[in-house]
Amino acid sequence: MIEWSEQHQMIRDVVQRFIREEVVPHLEDLEHGDLPPYDILRKMFATFGMSELARQRFDRQVAKAEQAEAGEIPKEEARKREGDGTGDGAAMQLIPIIELCRYCPGMVTALGVSTGLTGAAVMGKGTVAQKKRWGLDLLTLDKIGAWAITEPGSGSDAFGGMKSSARREGDEFVLNGSKTFITNGPYADTIVFICKLDEPGVDSRDRKILHFVLEKGMPGLTQSKPMKKMGLHSSPTGELFLQDVRVGMDRLLGEEKALESKAGEGRQASKATFQMERSGVAAMALGIVERCLELSVKYAKERVQWDQPIGEYQLIQEKLARMEVARMNLQNLVFRTVELSAQGKSMSFGEASAMKLYAARAAVEVAMEAVQVYGGNGYMAEYHVEQLARDAKVLQIYAGTDEIQIRAIARDLLA
Amino acid sequence: MKIVVCLKQVPHSDARLDINGDGTWIQEDNLKFEINSYDTYALEEALRIKDAGEAEVVVVSIGPDRVTQALRTALGMGADRAVHVNDSAVEGSDALGIAKVLAAIVKAESPDLVVTGLMSDDGNFSAVPPMIAELCDMPSATSVLKVDGANGSLTVERELEGGAMEVVELPKPCLLAVQTGLNQVRYASLKGIMAAKKKPIDVKTAADLGVGDQVGAGAAKVRMEKVYQPPKGEGAELLEGSTDDVVGSLMNKVKELGLL
Ligand SMILES: Cc1cc2nc3c(=O)[nH]c(=O)nc-3n(C[C@H](O)[C@H](O)[C@H](O)COP(=O)(O)OP(=O)(O)OC[C@H]3O[C@@H](n4cnc5c(N)ncnc54)[C@H](O)[C@@H]3O)c2cc1C
Repeated sequence: MIEWSEQHQMIRDVVQRFIREEVVPHLEDLEHGDLPPYDILRKMFATFGMSELARQRFDRQVAKAEQAEAGEIPKEEARKREGDGTGDGAAMQLIPIIELCRYCPGMVTALGVSTGLTGAAVMGKGTVAQKKRWGLDLLTLDKIGAWAITEPGSGSDAFGGMKSSARREGDEFVLNGSKTFITNGPYADTIVFICKLDEPGVDSRDRKILHFVLEKGMPGLTQSKPMKKMGLHSSPTGELFLQDVRVGMDRLLGEEKALESKAGEGRQASKATFQMERSGVAAMALGIVERCLELSVKYAKERVQWDQPIGEYQLIQEKLARMEVARMNLQNLVFRTVELSAQGKSMSFGEASAMKLYAARAAVEVAMEAVQVYGGNGYMAEYHVEQLARDAKVLQIYAGTDEIQIRAIARDLLA
Repeated sequence: MKIVVCLKQVPHSDARLDINGDGTWIQEDNLKFEINSYDTYALEEALRIKDAGEAEVVVVSIGPDRVTQALRTALGMGADRAVHVNDSAVEGSDALGIAKVLAAIVKAESPDLVVTGLMSDDGNFSAVPPMIAELCDMPSATSVLKVDGANGSLTVERELEGGAMEVVELPKPCLLAVQTGLNQVRYASLKGIMAAKKKPIDVKTAADLGVGDQVGAGAAKVRMEKVYQPPKGEGAELLEGSTDDVVGSLMNKVKELGLL
C-alpha cells in the first residue's frame, strides 16, 4: 500500500465534513467546558453506520467463539485474525482516528478506550455469554467502557506493584482496591477491573491476574469526578475506588477457566491489548502532525518579519522540513498497519513498541515546533497548536511510557 | 420513477485559488475538488424521493478523470448509477454547450424528474438548468426551496426576491433547480462508500451522445475573456475611539447618508 484508495479518500472527506459540522463548533466546550465527548461520538457512529459494522463484526466473532466452545473448531482458529485482503476494515477504523486527532485527540482516547480496550478485553477474554452480555454494547458505543489497570502505586510496573485484589468467598469474589488515571472512569457504564487473586502463601508477583466486569452504580464502587489535567481535556479521566464489591463468577472474564490458567497467562492477555493500543497511537500522531504541519506552513507564508514571510528564513524551513519527514514516516507506518491487517498479520511486540515510541516522540516534537513557528500566537489558546502540543504529550505517557517502549524494544532485540 | 441529478465538481471551498497563466480561469492543478454545494441539495432531494417510494437515481457529470470521485461520492450517498461525460472536446464549452450534453443524456434516459443545483459555486451563471429544460421541452422551476407530491404532478415553492415565496405546480417530466438549504444533506455511510465501488459509472463522449459538433470552445458563443482579482477599493473610513464613540459616529454616518 502506497496511498489511500479512492474509497479511503471518500471516507476521509466525509469524516472531515462531520468534524467540521459536528466537532469544531463544540471544540470550545469540549476543551474548556465540561462537555463529555460521548454524544458526539455516538452521533458519529450513527451517521456513518459504524454501529452496524461493529454489530456485524461482533456476530462473526461470536459465531466463531460458539463453534470453538462446542469443540467444532480449535480455539486458536476462533482467535485468529483474518485478513480481508483489502485493509478496508483497518482503514475504516484508522481514518476517523487520524481525522479526529487533527482537532481533538481526546475524543479518540475516550473512544479507543471504550471500544478498543474495554470492548476488546471482553471480546478477547470473555465467554460467549459474557461477550453477548457486555461486548456488543461496548463495540457499538451504546455503553461507555473503562479499562482499569493503573493504580496510585503501580503504573509502568502495572502487575508487580498492583494492590487491587479479589478474595474468594464461597461462590463470590470480594473486590477491593483503587485505580487512577482511568479514561472514561467518571462516566463509564461498564468497567474492566484488573486485579490479583488473593492467594495466601503465594508471592504477590506470582499471583494470578484476573479481569472482572463491573457496572456503574454497583454497591461499593465509586467513580470520581474528572481530574484536572494538562491536555486531552475532551477525554474525561478519573479514579475508581472499590470497597468490598461483591461479584459472582459470571463477572470474572473467562469464568472458571481464568482461575485454572497459569500466573503468566493473564499478563500475556493484557500484553495483546497493549499491542493494539500501541498501533493506534501512530494514527493519532499522524493526525496531530498533519494538522500542525498544515497550520505551520500556512503561518510561515503569512507571517512577515523584517519585510519577509518567516518561511523565507532557513531556521523556519528546517522546522517545516522535519515536520514533513515525520509526517511521511507516520503515514508509512499507518499504511503498514493497514497492509498487515489486510493480510491478517500483526506486528511483533517489539515492533509495535518501536512504532509507538517513534510516533509519540514525533507528535510531541512537531507540535512543540509548531508552537515555535507561531511564536507568541503559538502560546495562545486561540491558535490551535497550543492545544495540540498539550494533547500530544500524553502519547509519551499512556499506553506505556517512552522509557517502557525502549525497554520492550531492547528486550526484543537482545532476546 | 427515474430521477436524473446533474452535478458538477468544483474547487473545494477551502482551496486557495490562483488565476492561471493566460488569465482566463483559475489554476486547477493540485487543487482539491468537491461536489458543487447546490448540487448536494439536489442529490439529497432526489434521494429523499427514492427513500419515500420507488425510484432510480442516476447522477450525471461532465469533466476529466477527477470527476469520478464526485460521482462515487454520490453513489456512496445512495444514487444507483452514474453517467460520466469524460471528453476533452467538451472543454471550453459555454453554458449552452454544457446544457446540450446534459440534455442529450436526459433525452436518452427519459426520466420523470431532473434535479439540479440552482447555480455552480465556481461559475455562478444559473444558466444551464433552464437551458436543459428548454432543450428537452420540459417545464422547469428554479430557486426551489420545497418539493411536494412526488408521485402526481409536483407542487414546489420557489424563493423570490425579498424573502417572498411562490408556489407553482408542474406536470412531470420536469426540471427543478434547487436552492441551498431546502433539506439537510446526508453523509455517505462507510458501508455506502464501500458499496459504491461496485455501482456502474457509464463513461461517454460528446460524440457518443450525438452532440460532438455542438460543444467545445469552437461552438461556444460566450467566451471567457479575463479572470482577475478586482483592485483593492479605496475610500474606506476606519472609525476609531471607544465603543461609544464608534457607535456614535456610525449612527451619524448612517443618518448623513439618509439610510435610516
Ligand atoms: C490521560 C491519561 C489517561 C490514562 N488512561 C488510563 C486508562 O484508561 N487505564 C489505565 O489503566 N491507565 C491509564 N493511564 C495511566 C498510564 O497508563 C500510566 O500513567 C503510565 O503507564 C505510566 O505510569 P505512571 O504514571 O505510574 O508512571 P511511573 O510508572 O511511575 O513512571 C514515572 C517515570 O519513571 C519512568 N520509569 C518507570 N519505570 C522505569 C524503568 N523500569 N526504566 C526506566 N524508566 C522507568 C517512566 O517512564 C516515567 O518517566 C492514563 C494516563 C493518562 C495520563
